[in-house]
Amino acid sequence: MASKGALCGCIPSQKCANKKPRKLLAHRVVSKMALASVLNQNCAAFSFGSRQTTAFDCGPGLSGVGLESTSGDNFRFAIRNPMRPVVEDGDVESKIQFLHGTTTLAFKFQHGVIVAVDSRATAGSYICSQTVKKVIEINPFLLGTMAGGAADCGFWERMLARQCRVYELRNKERISVAAASKLLANMVYQYKGMGLSMGTMVCGWDKRGPGLYYVDSDGSRVCGDLFSLGSGSVYAYGVMDSGFRQDLTVEEACDLGRRAIYQATYRDAYSGGQVNLYHVHSEGWTRVSQDDVLELHQRYKDQA
Amino acid sequence: MALEDVCKSRSRAKPASLLDFDVPVAECLQENPPRSGTPQNPLPFEMSHGTTTLAFTFQGGVLAAGDTRSSCSGRVSCPDAEKVKPIHSHLVATSSGTSADCTLWKRILARELRLYQLRHGRRVSTGGAAKLLWHMLLPFKGTKLCVATTLCGWDESGPAIFYVHSDGRRLRGTLFSVGSGSPYAYAVLDQAVESGMTAEEATRVAREAVYRATHRDAYSGNCVDIYLVTSTGWTRREREDLKEEYYRERKNRQGGTV
Repeated sequence: MASKGALCGCIPSQKCANKKPRKLLAHRVVSKMALASVLNQNCAAFSFGSRQTTAFDCGPGLSGVGLESTSGDNFRFAIRNPMRPVVEDGDVESKIQFLHGTTTLAFKFQHGVIVAVDSRATAGSYICSQTVKKVIEINPFLLGTMAGGAADCGFWERMLARQCRVYELRNKERISVAAASKLLANMVYQYKGMGLSMGTMVCGWDKRGPGLYYVDSDGSRVCGDLFSLGSGSVYAYGVMDSGFRQDLTVEEACDLGRRAIYQATYRDAYSGGQVNLYHVHSEGWTRVSQDDVLELHQRYKDQA
Repeated sequence: MALEDVCKSRSRAKPASLLDFDVPVAECLQENPPRSGTPQNPLPFEMSHGTTTLAFTFQGGVLAAGDTRSSCSGRVSCPDAEKVKPIHSHLVATSSGTSADCTLWKRILARELRLYQLRHGRRVSTGGAAKLLWHMLLPFKGTKLCVATTLCGWDESGPAIFYVHSDGRRLRGTLFSVGSGSPYAYAVLDQAVESGMTAEEATRVAREAVYRATHRDAYSGNCVDIYLVTSTGWTRREREDLKEEYYRERKNRQGGTV
C-alpha cells in the first residue's frame, strides 16, 4: 500500500488503480496503515521531504515563521516517536521551539472576509526574512493563514488543498468552509501530542456566505467572526474591536485590517515587514494590497 | 502614626536636610539581603499584573486612567478597586502589580512628599518623586515585591509622566500603559493620541482604550476611572461602569457576534 501518499489518513483510492473502489473500507484500512507506518518509524515521514525536496519543500522564503534555527541551519522536522525510548543524543523535540512570532488576523463582515497578515520570520532574536508569505491559497475560494511552524502549516494546508480538490471532483461541487476546516482539524488531530505546531484560520466563501474557522494543532476548531493569531495578536485585537462594524464597506474593512496589522507591528518586535491583505467575496479571493509597514507609518503620520 | 514619625525624626541632632527621607526597609532584608535567584519563601499562588492602566500627556496636562478589577488566582476579589489615586494636589499615581504593595508604597510616598513640602515649603517635582519611589524600592529588588506605577503630575516644568517599576526601572515618557490589558490599550492609544489633544478628546480616547482592554483581557474589567492633572491640580471623572457600554455596543452591532 502506498504509505507515503496516505499520511493524512485520507482516501487515496486513486493510488490503488487496480482495485475496486471499496471506498470506505479502503479508507479505514489505509488510514490505519498510514498511522502504523508513521508510528513504526523513529521519525515521522515528514523527513521524506528532504528526499523529495521539490514536492514538499518549504523553500528559502518560508524557512522560519518563528522557528528556532539549530546550528548548521538544518531544519529537521523529525518528530520523536512516543512509542520508542528517548534517544541519548538529545530529544529532537526539544531542539525545535516554535515562537509564534507573527500577527495574522481575519474577520467576517457583510461583504465577505478580510484576511491580513504580516511577513516577518524570526529565529530567536534574528529576523530571518521580511518577505514571508503567511497566507496559503488553498483554492480560488479558500485561504489559509499560517502561524506557528512554517513547515507544519505549509504541509498540512497543501494536503488540505489536495483533499478539497478530491472532494470537488467526487461531488461535483465546491467544498464548504466548514467541511474544509473539519478535514484539516481531523488530519492534524491524529498527530496530537506529537509536536505539531500549527495555528491557522481557514477563510472562504461558500453557499452559506462568508466562512471563518480557527483550526490548530491541539485539535481546536472554532467558528467565529473575528480572529487574530500570533504574538502581535493582542495589539491587533484592540484596533479591530474599536473599528469593527457589520456594515463596513470593502474599503473601510481593508483599511481596518491594514491598520490593525500595522499597530501590531509597531508594538510587537516579532511582527513586521509588509502587510498582505486579501479579501474573500462571493467570486473567490482577491489579493488587495501589499504595503510595507514603514510606508504605512509615514502615511498614517501624514494623515493624522 | 505619621505625626509620631515626624516627631521621632525631629529628635535627631542634625537639622533636616533636603534629602532627609525616611526609607523604610524590612528588617529581614537588612540581615539577609536577597541574592539574585529564587526567593526562600515561594508564594502560594502566582501573582500577575492583572490590570489595565494608562497615562498620556495632552495639551494642557496629563491623563491617567485605569480599570477597577482586582483579581486573585483567577477570581475577582474586588470589582471596585481604586487603581488611580492622587498622591497630592498635583500628582496622581496608577498602580499595577500586587495591590497591597502598591497601596502601601503610595502611602509611604505620599507621606514623604508631604513632609518634604512642610519642611521646605515647596512640592517635589514629578521626576523627583519618581526618583524617591525608585530609591525606596531599591532594597526590595530581587524579592517578590511587585509595584509597577506611573506617576503623572504637573510641576514647574509642566506635565510629566514617569513609569517606576520595583525591578528598578524608572522611565520618562509621554504615553504608558501597564498591565495584562496594556497591549489592547496600546493599540487604541497609538492610533489616536496626539500631543495637541483637548481634554475631552483625551478622555474619550482613554475610555475607549480601557474599554477595549477590559473587553479582551480577563483580568481587567468592571469600571473605568479617569483623572486629569492640569496646572490647577487634579480632577476626577465619575466612575463609569463599562458593562453598559458593552451592551450598548452589542445592540449597535446589528447581530454581529464579537
